[in-house]
Amino acid sequence: MRSLRAALRRLLHAVLLGLVGAGIVHIVVLLLVPEFSERDAWSRLSMASDLYRMNRLDAEAGGAPVVKSVDPLFYATACRFDLEEGMVRIKAPGNVPFWSVSVYDRSGHNIYSFNDHTATGGKLDAVVLTPAQMIDVRKDLPEDLQGAIFVEAPIDEGIFVIRSFVPDESWKPVVSRFLDQSSCELQDF
Amino acid sequence: MLKNAFLMLLSLAIAVGGGGASVWYALKIQDGVGAIRIGQWTAFPDIGTPAADPYSKARVAREGVLALGRAEGLSFVAENDAAGDQLKRECVYRIEGGFPTARFWTLYAADQSLGVVETGKSRLAALQSYEVLRQADNSVVISVGHHPMPGNWLLTDGSGRMYFVLTFYDTPIASSTGLSDVSLPRIVKAGCDA
Repeated sequence: MRSLRAALRRLLHAVLLGLVGAGIVHIVVLLLVPEFSERDAWSRLSMASDLYRMNRLDAEAGGAPVVKSVDPLFYATACRFDLEEGMVRIKAPGNVPFWSVSVYDRSGHNIYSFNDHTATGGKLDAVVLTPAQMIDVRKDLPEDLQGAIFVEAPIDEGIFVIRSFVPDESWKPVVSRFLDQSSCELQDF
Repeated sequence: MLKNAFLMLLSLAIAVGGGGASVWYALKIQDGVGAIRIGQWTAFPDIGTPAADPYSKARVAREGVLALGRAEGLSFVAENDAAGDQLKRECVYRIEGGFPTARFWTLYAADQSLGVVETGKSRLAALQSYEVLRQADNSVVISVGHHPMPGNWLLTDGSGRMYFVLTFYDTPIASSTGLSDVSLPRIVKAGCDA
């Protein structure tokens, strides 16, 4: 009888230890998921194309979208960049009813966003750069960057997304052209 | 000796299995921390920002979401009607009421993964604020169902669970201070196809 009770107590002890361990494992796994995920936006985009390449996120461009762009009344395009190589310039010509740009860091957190009301004359022309590069640029602002929106981001690798509203069928070609003609380039300075 | 090894293995199994399974479960359920509820609508203003909680961060990494920024807009998801019943694709609903200030909004019927419901027709299961008809007091009444209806009609198709996703673009409510006194439209069930 006594030996049974002792065995039970040890079993209980083991189970409790296991539960405490489960708590620790829960926290560790939770914090490691973003670190090791191969399904995050960056990994999906890198499987689809290179750095500084625009990638349509809506199904309209053919094939299944790489990263799910949720709103069916929106078209979107994304591009990956690495600020260690230099600053990146985003441009898109033309007029559409609404566009917005988001800058994400490597793990997909939205660190900056702006829309067409922010830009001069509604033209999409933006430069993403690190604070250190910003200091260099401020010293001697090149002529062609005068109208651009500067986004200071304390990151190296990142993603930006251009989203554009498609109010109805007739806007589809216009918005498609706007996104297909958008560019994502390493800017020399 | 053997008994000790068994107990140790048991502890380890509970720790690893329980820890892993609980994370998996926590990430699977729709609801989460940081949610803001207005009527039947739920929004996660912090998701996808560096200020998000660890659960939202893990979910963002696992699902490859690129969330809308504050200057872009804010999405609300509804899974129940005003009576508290789950939304069904085979039912007819009326979405009525005033909408908060925004440059425009879009509304669409979604499936479990929050992708738009496939209608099999050229008409999308989506509406936007530029194309809706308004009442005299600027409120909007939208009918949701399989069959054409007068006024504003949101087409749905199929059967099973449904979600409504209402997104406001370029809106002051996306900044958290604006969210306190926002009222969103009600979702009322008007009947079901048997």
